[in-house]
Amino acid sequence: MASDFLSTPRRNVLVMAAVTAMGGIAIKAGAAHSQGRPAAEPGGRRQPFDEDWRFMLGEQTGAENRAWDDTGWRLVDLPHDWSIADQPGQTPGAVVGPFDKRSIGGTATGFTNGGEGWYRKHFRVDSYPSDARIEIVFDAAYLKTDVWLNGRSVGGSVSGYTPFALDLTPYLDRSGDNVIAVRVQNLGRNSRWYSGSGLYRSVELDVLHPTSRVERWGVTAWTSKLENGRAVVDLSSEVVGPEKGDILISRLVEPDGRIAVEVSTPATTVTRQSLHLRGPRLWSAARPELYSLETELVRAGVALDRLVQPYGIRIVAFDAAKGMTVNGERVKLKGGCLHHDNGLLGACAYPDADERRLRLLKARGFNAIRSSHNPSSRSLREACDRLGMFLIEEAFDTWHIGKEPQDFAQQFPEHWHTVIEAMVRSARNSPSVIMWSIGNEIPFRSTDEGVKWQWTLANAVKRLDPTRPVTAGLNGVLGGQLIAEADTARPGRAGKVDNASTVFLDVPGYNYRLEDIAAEQAVHPERVVYASETFARDLYDYQALQDEAPYFLGEFLWTAMDYLGEAGIGATARLKNGAYPIYLPGFPWVNAWCGDIDLIGEQKASSLARDVVWGVSGLEVSVQRPGPEGTFAYVSNWGWPDELASWSWPGSEERMLGVVVHAAGDTVEVHLNGRLVGSKGLGPSDRRRAEFQIAYAPGKLEAFSYRDGRRIAHKVLETVGPAASVRVVPDRREGGAGRGALSYFRIEIVDAQGRVLPDDQRRVDLVIDGPASLGAFGSANPLATGSFQSPHAESYRGRALLILRGNGQRGTVKVNARSAGLKDGRVTVTMA
Amino acid sequence: MDAPLYPPARAFVMPRRLPGLLDTKDTAIADLKAIPQAWAVVKAEIPNVEARVGNEMIKPHLGNFSFRSLLQFGVVKSDALDRIDQKLKALGER
Repeated sequence: MASDFLSTPRRNVLVMAAVTAMGGIAIKAGAAHSQGRPAAEPGGRRQPFDEDWRFMLGEQTGAENRAWDDTGWRLVDLPHDWSIADQPGQTPGAVVGPFDKRSIGGTATGFTNGGEGWYRKHFRVDSYPSDARIEIVFDAAYLKTDVWLNGRSVGGSVSGYTPFALDLTPYLDRSGDNVIAVRVQNLGRNSRWYSGSGLYRSVELDVLHPTSRVERWGVTAWTSKLENGRAVVDLSSEVVGPEKGDILISRLVEPDGRIAVEVSTPATTVTRQSLHLRGPRLWSAARPELYSLETELVRAGVALDRLVQPYGIRIVAFDAAKGMTVNGERVKLKGGCLHHDNGLLGACAYPDADERRLRLLKARGFNAIRSSHNPSSRSLREACDRLGMFLIEEAFDTWHIGKEPQDFAQQFPEHWHTVIEAMVRSARNSPSVIMWSIGNEIPFRSTDEGVKWQWTLANAVKRLDPTRPVTAGLNGVLGGQLIAEADTARPGRAGKVDNASTVFLDVPGYNYRLEDIAAEQAVHPERVVYASETFARDLYDYQALQDEAPYFLGEFLWTAMDYLGEAGIGATARLKNGAYPIYLPGFPWVNAWCGDIDLIGEQKASSLARDVVWGVSGLEVSVQRPGPEGTFAYVSNWGWPDELASWSWPGSEERMLGVVVHAAGDTVEVHLNGRLVGSKGLGPSDRRRAEFQIAYAPGKLEAFSYRDGRRIAHKVLETVGPAASVRVVPDRREGGAGRGALSYFRIEIVDAQGRVLPDDQRRVDLVIDGPASLGAFGSANPLATGSFQSPHAESYRGRALLILRGNGQRGTVKVNARSAGLKDGRVTVTMA
Repeated sequence: MDAPLYPPARAFVMPRRLPGLLDTKDTAIADLKAIPQAWAVVKAEIPNVEARVGNEMIKPHLGNFSFRSLLQFGVVKSDALDRIDQKLKALGER
């Protein structure tokens, strides 16, 4: 092996050994470790491999061959999702942007299409050591993936959401051009939501020592004890090909580069170590203190392998008396379910997009997400670690019996273990992960076969990570009672009566079973439970239960944000009086419309109510949209009444409008144009909500909230004027220039006073000048209105969202947003 | 403070099922459907039950939902389920 493989001079190893001997004293590392080594340096793990792929949609014969002519294929960077690209044959009312009325997925996939796509990438390895083992690491691909190197098959994946690594070494051309070819097939009806298609998550290369390395995801780190201002972190590291004299060094490194603690021991196939740290900084969602956990395999003073991963020191515990504690402190879950798509970007897992989603949710008081119903991307999980968000990782939506004709149930018997292993091993050191979910709403879970699968999956998880509880999302505790014997039962549960759906779950999750939670607790007081899916309308009741019941951890709203697919499950509609109160959304509904936060990141009315119930805001006001005479409002179970924070209802003058006030106080008042028009006391049965019928007149609607006679909050809705201009508001004045970096811009239709028109819909055209490309442009409209990848879109509720993607060059980008008859919106940002 | 552990079990032996009544709360719809006498009770009280639970959204979930868990979706009504429960009792424990 070339000596420059990974350089840790012998001198530094000696320094490390000295640090180990000194215990948990934080010492400036200096050259003692190589954190932050430039990515351009050859060799090592996590070599970027996302850029300069070529893509072709459709079946190809022979495209795996090295000599295949791909010069006509489209150049793309990863992540890439072909399902979010415009469909051919655009036809108003039938094929609109990426949405196709004839899609086999129908409402489930939001009328998007899958199919087959091919990716090819040319690369060289002559800058790497000549005998290096080189693996390609896919964070996931949807769905069935087959990979060839230089025409030779190297493996693939069938799971869609879990990372996988393939060894390229046997077929590498060490001095010439190499070609990776990847066929991805997303065929049939295989998903109940928008999945996206293709290489939608990041791809990297790991350049490794030919014979010796740390096993992939082979390091486990577990904070086993917090006591007297010290932490004990137990480590277990699997080493491939250790030789006599090899040393395994593990260390926790502070954000500023100082080594907090380090241990060095002879490397064995499984190397067990403990780090003892004085004065640890503890991780929690409220204060996400992170270290870097570095693992080095050293031979004769040379580091053969080095892993760096985020690590947080924390102990999370669950019991019925205290609920969930984090480092000894009780914490309630304010959670939301999240599907994996990033809205206008489709399924593409950009770190910036995942981070933005989490920041939006944290701002609304969320402290937890359930990655429904699949393992999350590395970028989302690491954002949870970094920003402080508890995470439930979920493996499956089906086990042995499917929900869709071509879903994972077909692969489950043969591939379930691959999914469990990849999910748990890749994420078990993330402090954000608090539970492993083995399934969501699993059909036939209470049959004998289902019970056996429950045991099999739960114990497969525990063999890989016994430090976290196993959960599942249940639509009720099905299947009657049973008793497990000692060898089979969970600790302490042998010989005790349980239910078929819960017998091997440490923390059952209840989907939409608000009324069952207290009743079942009376029968099973040992249980710690949470609401794994909830309707937004029940938010006050869940909060009340959370406040009074220690065993109840909290709720996970379905959903925290809107997502593509399950089109219209949160729909509202106006139905004719006397009609049966049912509405079945079809095309052009394309997004679920059940999120607190819409597809572009704006709050909906349910989010305003939640702000008050969760204590983020003292007062919020919204107004029910007036409907045509002779109709009534239909709201689906997952929906929320069609309300807007708006006092601009042209054509409704003198009509009585429903004004909904959510308030933290005990009394609310509503004033219209300075005149008191409503007042109400709020008691516990009001659920912090007051509704007034007020005759609409343009002007200023003001609400006041009082507690004990003292005003505690004030809110104003004003009638806006006609649209005057387009406004462009960047999330940041300085965007990332990197090719995977995203910059977000809110596009707003405003009146002469700069107030957003709250219900405006009109075409906006963009001109982008500078070193960036259009990542996506569109609105939160739940109906298909056009492309997400063209510079033309319609605003919805007065807003749209532009996402720019860096192109690798620094410079100034000018965005000009135009709409007919309005003053242009302009902004200039720096890509650095 | 010591961190908790959730150790794996040693071996799987099918847990012993306790005799119990069929009902609309804890028995999956698919399980009721698989027992002709039980399904006859259901059909007697909800004559169009096949249509109600046969649509594309609910059909894949018959092994996941009980009838009572469908109450909130307006698919069935509680008075009918009360009557079904009474009649299912007569079928005895299983």
